[in-house]
Amino acid sequence: MPTVPLAPRVPRGRIRWRRSVAKLTADQLAGVRDAYAWTQGVSDDRGYQSQAGVHGYPLPVSCQHTTSDRFASLFLPWHRAYLYFFERALRDRRTQLAHPWWDWAAPSAQSDGIPRAYADERSADGQPNPFHSVEINDEAMAQARRAGYDLPARTRRFPGQPGTRLPTALEVERLLGLPDFWSFSQQIEDLHGQVHVYVGGREGHMSAVPLAAYDPIFWAHHAMIDRIWRIWQLRHPPPSFTADFLATALRPFPMTVAQTMSVRAMGYDYASSGTTIEVG
Amino acid sequence: MDRYVSDPVELPAVEGEPEFERADLIFHGIDHGGDSYEARVFLDRPEADEATPLDLDHGYAGSFFIFGHGGCAGDEGHCDVPEDQTDPDDLRLAHPLTGATRQVIVTEALRGVSGESFTFTVVPVLPGADAPRREDVLAFESVELLTFD
Repeated sequence: MPTVPLAPRVPRGRIRWRRSVAKLTADQLAGVRDAYAWTQGVSDDRGYQSQAGVHGYPLPVSCQHTTSDRFASLFLPWHRAYLYFFERALRDRRTQLAHPWWDWAAPSAQSDGIPRAYADERSADGQPNPFHSVEINDEAMAQARRAGYDLPARTRRFPGQPGTRLPTALEVERLLGLPDFWSFSQQIEDLHGQVHVYVGGREGHMSAVPLAAYDPIFWAHHAMIDRIWRIWQLRHPPPSFTADFLATALRPFPMTVAQTMSVRAMGYDYASSGTTIEVG
Repeated sequence: MDRYVSDPVELPAVEGEPEFERADLIFHGIDHGGDSYEARVFLDRPEADEATPLDLDHGYAGSFFIFGHGGCAGDEGHCDVPEDQTDPDDLRLAHPLTGATRQVIVTEALRGVSGESFTFTVVPVLPGADAPRREDVLAFESVELLTFD
């Protein structure tokens, strides 16, 4: 895959490991929640409302999902960039922070649904859990109502309603075996939509493109999607993308498709769990 | 449409040559400007509905999922997709509501079809036990059947 070459004498930061939310230590979980709580309290363009609004309302709706096969599929590159820039914003609070990912294909998710880290209304210290829900700004909600959405301003979920189900590990494994990028991108985008509808149900925000990113579980869901893409990249030869595709700018981010092709060049990677042992 | 049942589709086959390795149904021009839903695809089950089990014995071939944009929050014309988006000098990305393409890999289900033709049924399923049956949720322009040796 195309990568940004590392210059031999330019120091770079350590790789930040995105870990499974199920395997975070109590301190790690508290650290990520602290960063979320902080960003949710920031009202300027570093804050949660601004970051979540990039995906949908307030207009413009900038998220990229596959449309016709006449146009390049930017679903995976665009969302990789989106996660990256929100992660950078969170790191203004916690310098080594990396998104946790929600393994919705794991047996625990199949039996229990939303992980407790996101489902609990309060954190262990009794404070409101910033992963649970968020109050959406007035401008976005006014546009949502204009579009016909009858949803409250505070995000909510209705996981597991009849007619919905989470993708299984077998389904993930099947798509990881697809050798061509177009089929892989198509199939993973479908699993992604399946999870959105599972979480949001009929009247939850995750089921609505313009409001989904306000739900804090959106980020853990998309980190899982990004992780599956990373695994697919490790298993298959790099696709022969056209130069036009690789040079496409991922509005509004100062990044091209080519710059999303290597997570290592972006300074992160995926692990199940991870702990740093300081030697004193 | 509430459900879609195709006309019979011929299965191209050449006697003595190997069966396909993979088969895809590609749906083109899918409207994704409304609700989010799952579209379940069944082969040779024109009676399939929301309650039909999702297994090969009942003709279930796979699903595609539409993550819907809801209604339009802009002024008049904001959500109108331009008919022609082929201007090479127009560097804007495709209109977000350009009809979607979805691929359903139907290999195993198609291998179970007997005869020289089959029909396919597309059943839209909205979440929720009391989800209304929406006649306007499912809309697409064409479908391709592709097989690969």
